[in-house]
Amino acid sequence: MSASKMTRRVNAVLSVLLGLLCIAYVYPIFLILINSLKTERAITTATVFELPTAETFVKFQNYITGITSMNFLQSFWYSLFISVSSVFLILLCCSMCAWFITRVKGKLSSAMYYLCVFSMVVPFQMVMFTLAKTADTLKLNNPYNICIIYLGFGAGLAVFMFTGFMKSMPVEIEEAAMIDGCNPLQIFFKVVCPILKPTMISTAILEVMWVWNDYLLPTLVLDIKSYRTIPMAIQYFRGSYGKVEMGPMMGCIMLTVLPVVILYLICQKYIIEGVVAGAVKG
Amino acid sequence: MEKSIRKFWPIFVLPTLAAFIIGFIWPFIWGIGLSFCQFITVDRVNFVGLQNYISVWADNTFTHAFAFTTLFTIVSTVLINLCGFGLALLLTRHIKGTNLFRTVYFMPNLIGGVVLGYIWQTLFNGILTILGKPLITLNATYGFWGLIILMCWQQIGYMMIIYIAGLQNVPPDLIEAAKIDGANSRQILTKVKIPMVMPSVTICTFLTLTNSFKLFDQNLSLTGGEPAKSTMMLAYNIYDTFYARSGPQWKGIGQAKAVVFFLAVIVIALIQLRITRSKEVQQ
Amino acid sequence: MNAKKIISLLIVCAMAAALLVGCGSSAPATNDASGETASTGATGKVYYLNFKPEQDQQWQDLAAAYTAETGVPVTVVTAASGEYETTLMSEMAKSDAPTLFQVNGPVGLANWKDYCYDLSGTELVSELTSDAYALKDGEATLGVGYVIESYGLIANKDLLEQAGYTVEDINSFESLKAIAEDITARQDELGFAAFTSAGMDGSSDWRYKTHLANLPIYFEYQADGITSTDAIKGTYLDNYKNIFDLYINNSTCDPTQLAGKTGDDSRNEFLAGEAVFYQNGSWEYVNLTGENGFTDDQLAMIPIYIGVGDEANQGLCTGCENYWCINNAAPEEDIQATLDFLTWCVTSEEGTAALANEMGFVIPFKGAAESTNLFVKQDSEMTAAGKVPVAWTFTTMPSENWKNGVGSALTAYAAGTGDWDGVVTAFVDGWAAEVALSANAG
Repeated sequence: MSASKMTRRVNAVLSVLLGLLCIAYVYPIFLILINSLKTERAITTATVFELPTAETFVKFQNYITGITSMNFLQSFWYSLFISVSSVFLILLCCSMCAWFITRVKGKLSSAMYYLCVFSMVVPFQMVMFTLAKTADTLKLNNPYNICIIYLGFGAGLAVFMFTGFMKSMPVEIEEAAMIDGCNPLQIFFKVVCPILKPTMISTAILEVMWVWNDYLLPTLVLDIKSYRTIPMAIQYFRGSYGKVEMGPMMGCIMLTVLPVVILYLICQKYIIEGVVAGAVKG
Repeated sequence: MEKSIRKFWPIFVLPTLAAFIIGFIWPFIWGIGLSFCQFITVDRVNFVGLQNYISVWADNTFTHAFAFTTLFTIVSTVLINLCGFGLALLLTRHIKGTNLFRTVYFMPNLIGGVVLGYIWQTLFNGILTILGKPLITLNATYGFWGLIILMCWQQIGYMMIIYIAGLQNVPPDLIEAAKIDGANSRQILTKVKIPMVMPSVTICTFLTLTNSFKLFDQNLSLTGGEPAKSTMMLAYNIYDTFYARSGPQWKGIGQAKAVVFFLAVIVIALIQLRITRSKEVQQ
Repeated sequence: MNAKKIISLLIVCAMAAALLVGCGSSAPATNDASGETASTGATGKVYYLNFKPEQDQQWQDLAAAYTAETGVPVTVVTAASGEYETTLMSEMAKSDAPTLFQVNGPVGLANWKDYCYDLSGTELVSELTSDAYALKDGEATLGVGYVIESYGLIANKDLLEQAGYTVEDINSFESLKAIAEDITARQDELGFAAFTSAGMDGSSDWRYKTHLANLPIYFEYQADGITSTDAIKGTYLDNYKNIFDLYINNSTCDPTQLAGKTGDDSRNEFLAGEAVFYQNGSWEYVNLTGENGFTDDQLAMIPIYIGVGDEANQGLCTGCENYWCINNAAPEEDIQATLDFLTWCVTSEEGTAALANEMGFVIPFKGAAESTNLFVKQDSEMTAAGKVPVAWTFTTMPSENWKNGVGSALTAYAAGTGDWDGVVTAFVDGWAAEVALSANAG
């Protein structure tokens, strides 16, 4: 009895402590939020913690400047399009490839598998120059087909996760479908895909997080004459003589962070489960 | 069945294989080849043999970056895993608000490295000014700890989620049995829970090790390697050698550095997997 | 069941499409690459990799105007701050490389000279007001300077008046020191300080480690009658110390706190009227005037006096470190198009007006329009009055590493963690060490 009371009390204290930690966790983002509403002159190292006052409050002026001067919406669209198209392509191609690898034993399959595992540990710096050059030669340097590069460089993780899951999938259902007269394509889309859904989600989450936030690959590969993704655009708030447009920069950081946070709050159940599933399989 | 699937290989494997060759295999092989050459653009390439690999070790920014990265990796791996595991223990105690806490702690993970760096630079500089200390880009020690704090903030939540899943998979009867045998809570933790979550430990240390060792975006935006390249980590150093230092010799050296870096990552990953795998309980 | 069938059919279609994209793109792409050189035969195109982010929009507008007039496509890309070298390097490796880029003086040219088109004998070079603005390597002219800039002490005249002085009172280091120290003594009463705080981090450390350091180097070169050296002697380092001491001891904050300030802080203090003097250059004009800023009547730029030479006739520090270079690896017609574009920029009415008014540049070309930039106007007034501008010698500084060494030593000195000997060592010994290093590498 007293032991459980004790536990309850400890838990209450812990609850408060963890709550405080929560505030500390959210604070950096809150800091950016309040500064994004202040006039540029009120964002100095000495005043960065002050709340906006009547004098320094500029409503959404920074957001408007940021959006218009940096063509932010266009960058947003490119980032979104690249993320969605790349991840769609990765999921589709890699799940098919992974199914082939698990069901067909042979040199091709095992070679693919080991190459994929290998590619997961190779740092991007190893291939950055040659990859950029290859993409340039093949004209894979715009947001509409850069997904092929992402498929190539992201295939390792996806194939690895899919095969990890498929190894434990019973082959009997598929064989039954085959006897019913389905060809392998039909089997894959009707039988395998539905079973694969949870793994699809976790892979999708990991890949989206990677592609959406990726900085170096698009910087080197994309044709910078016409296209900028969000992480690239954020860099442009610094002037050549060290002047940083702090206000608009804060505004754009908020615009980058908010959609992600909102999306996360809506589908957090899937995201967290997806991460767990991904990690356990990996 | 295998036979009929095999016939469909152009549909199942070819797209991925083709992209894989374009996006990984060919650049990789080419990259290794270029590490033996001197070049600025690929149409003017001279073979120089092992010269680049010798120059790599003569470049003291690289050796410094190597040491800095190693230290950073050790500190951040230990801290992130300890904190992540600690939080996971707390959040499996059925405390009020567990769901909220879990949601909040995980959130920083979704924000990109470049943006995170700028957010924290603003915060750190504000705090340092209040304390009357130099800015983060002026002091390598602050830069180091700044990076550590940033990495912890970003990664603890992720590792915590994995540890929670691991802890929830510990069969309750096992803990009950230990209690009946008279084990105290510390013994339960060290003798039952930790051995049972070793697979999670393997994954988490693997992820934190490779993430820290390969860190680039955060390094670029938080300190930019300042002051005077003393907070520059390996990945950034390679990028810097490759693109920021002009002169015909640097690109080849950069590529050679990348090969060295790649080998180091492989060695670390293999050692780590061997050590932690050997401690896992076979279920 | 039916719906499922449709969905799976759709997916198959999508997949087939993806397949087509995946495989198809590599085949026509090679055609593209080979066809390109042939198809561009008729008209060239210009791709300018611009260095100055502040003028990005103005360049875009000017490029659009040129394209509208001549039909020649001009693409302007601006590199993010501090990323120019990396962007240039990565762009030069691409098939569609920049035709026009820039280097920062002889040290920068050394790295890119194999890629610079020889401009000798072109109309562009003949338009230069002085041969001094042509960047040469041996006989070849590889770059042309395109903007002359000045820096000095920007003064807030209103505040100076409140303290009981005018700009004319400052004509030597002694008078500057007396006025600054008087303002500091009455700081509480006046409500402002003499100098803005520093910004010793990457945001504005160049103001001290490069721009301020220019003065002792310039005077040493003058005294020795040279234009560059492998071993700096540091003859006027005491004067360097004096002016730096004056800055840090009379600024808005305690010297030990200087390292906690950024360049933005420093500018904001000046804008908020917290300090009278702010060391910066003509490029800062746009940031200080306009909305929420000052009017021309309130500002003045005065020379930085360090107590050396003929102070009565000392002008602003004026020079050029931005040079245009044309990529010699570009197709012939693109090189021609780029030359035409540049010539148009510096000779046509529209081009010169845009460079002078929109971008606030003073260009060293015969057809230059008069700039509306106050500081630039002051520079030409001073030169006309017989004052001698201090030339920019920092293009001869041995390396970026040397500047960083001096910068760190200055920061340590200001914070009290290091002494002035550290600065002297970084300045003199560091110079020799860096020269030796680059000699080896070359």
